[in-house]
Amino acid sequence: MRFLKGFGLFLAAACSAAAFTPAIAAGDLLVAPTRLVLDGSRGTEVVLNNIGAEPATYRISLEIKRMTAAGGLDEIAEADATDAEKAALAMIAFSPRRVTLPPNQPQVIRVGVRVPEGTPAGEYRAHMLFRAVPDAAPAVADAAKPAAEGVSIALTPIYGITIPVIVRVGDLGAEAVIGDAWVSETRDGPAFEFDLTRSGNRSVYGDIEVTRPGVAEPLLLARGIAVYPEVGARRVSLRVPPELAAKLKGPVHIRYSEDREIGGGTIDAADRVVK
Amino acid sequence: MRNFGMKRALLGAAIAVLAMNASAAQAATATGTAKARILRQITLTNTSDLQFATIISGATASTVAVSTAGAATCGSGLTCTGTTTAANFDIQGTSGAVVLVGGDSSVTLNGSLGGNMTAALSYSATNVTLSATGGSFKVGGTLSVGANQASGDYSGTFNVTANYQ
Repeated sequence: MRFLKGFGLFLAAACSAAAFTPAIAAGDLLVAPTRLVLDGSRGTEVVLNNIGAEPATYRISLEIKRMTAAGGLDEIAEADATDAEKAALAMIAFSPRRVTLPPNQPQVIRVGVRVPEGTPAGEYRAHMLFRAVPDAAPAVADAAKPAAEGVSIALTPIYGITIPVIVRVGDLGAEAVIGDAWVSETRDGPAFEFDLTRSGNRSVYGDIEVTRPGVAEPLLLARGIAVYPEVGARRVSLRVPPELAAKLKGPVHIRYSEDREIGGGTIDAADRVVK
Repeated sequence: MRNFGMKRALLGAAIAVLAMNASAAQAATATGTAKARILRQITLTNTSDLQFATIISGATASTVAVSTAGAATCGSGLTCTGTTTAANFDIQGTSGAVVLVGGDSSVTLNGSLGGNMTAALSYSATNVTLSATGGSFKVGGTLSVGANQASGDYSGTFNVTANYQ
């Protein structure tokens, strides 16, 4: 049956031959929403869509990631996971785990949570990874290549999207405080940076708005900045164009607010003089 | 499949999938998208590949570097032909959203006629703040070519992810 279904998809793809573009890598994808917060009583859905021009097979899995003090997310092998991280993997169920989609075909991934009795209060988190399973691309045969001398290369990226799946057990709370702010020259270009300190037993998540006192239009807006429970503080580093970096120097008002979807209340606000 | 209960739930799901034909699956997803609820989304599109083009190896080991801008530096003793490009990924999503970029720092390439090479990978950014028109990041690399590297077609895969926090 699975084979037949696959064959059906193949036929559908073959019929719409106009959409067939051989040189483009399959695996482009859309994922919505971009974050899941569950309280354990009911499940939810994530939509995966093949936005590429060819049919593609996607694999869905759960990964463990830990936030770093620099604000990155380190991938952690399952063998190195803590008990809480293993508990997160065990309590999040989802289906399907592998799906083949023709172009522009969305698929709903159902996500459920089962919190075992006696689970300590806290925030449990895993990151759901959506990734195309690549067709092995052959190295491009180059007619101009001298026989038995040349080396040609084919590198296939296996690319995907991760979104956090957060399960909250018990009554949790957290606060955040904005620290020093400055403009610095990073390896990737100028960046607006500041420290964000977190306290409490869950993550904080929200939007950053930087304004100049007396000017309504924000200088900088960055949405979806989290501080996860495994870190007490992180650096937020936002790359900015050089002209904006120059403009950000001086007195600014920084506001860290909750997600608009849950009211947008202020988590912390601070006046800083950016050097 | 981490505990018995979940195994049973998955088995149920597997049976449900088997019982569904393709059109039923499409009907099910159509119901899902018919709800008038706007979800925040992210899309990731691979718009160009990391291309080292064609290299003719020399008597000593050397390297070929492709910067994240796509410019090639052909090491001494090597002959490089063809057009090099950096891999490019486009991200679309909510304006202002900060997306973290992660991926393998190196990749091993296996030759069709034996032999292998490694390439160190470099990323143009560790995070991308999306504008109204989205954002992008690039992946370049430095390929280590051995002395008298066996000719052939070398291929390898590397992992790249765009992560919402």
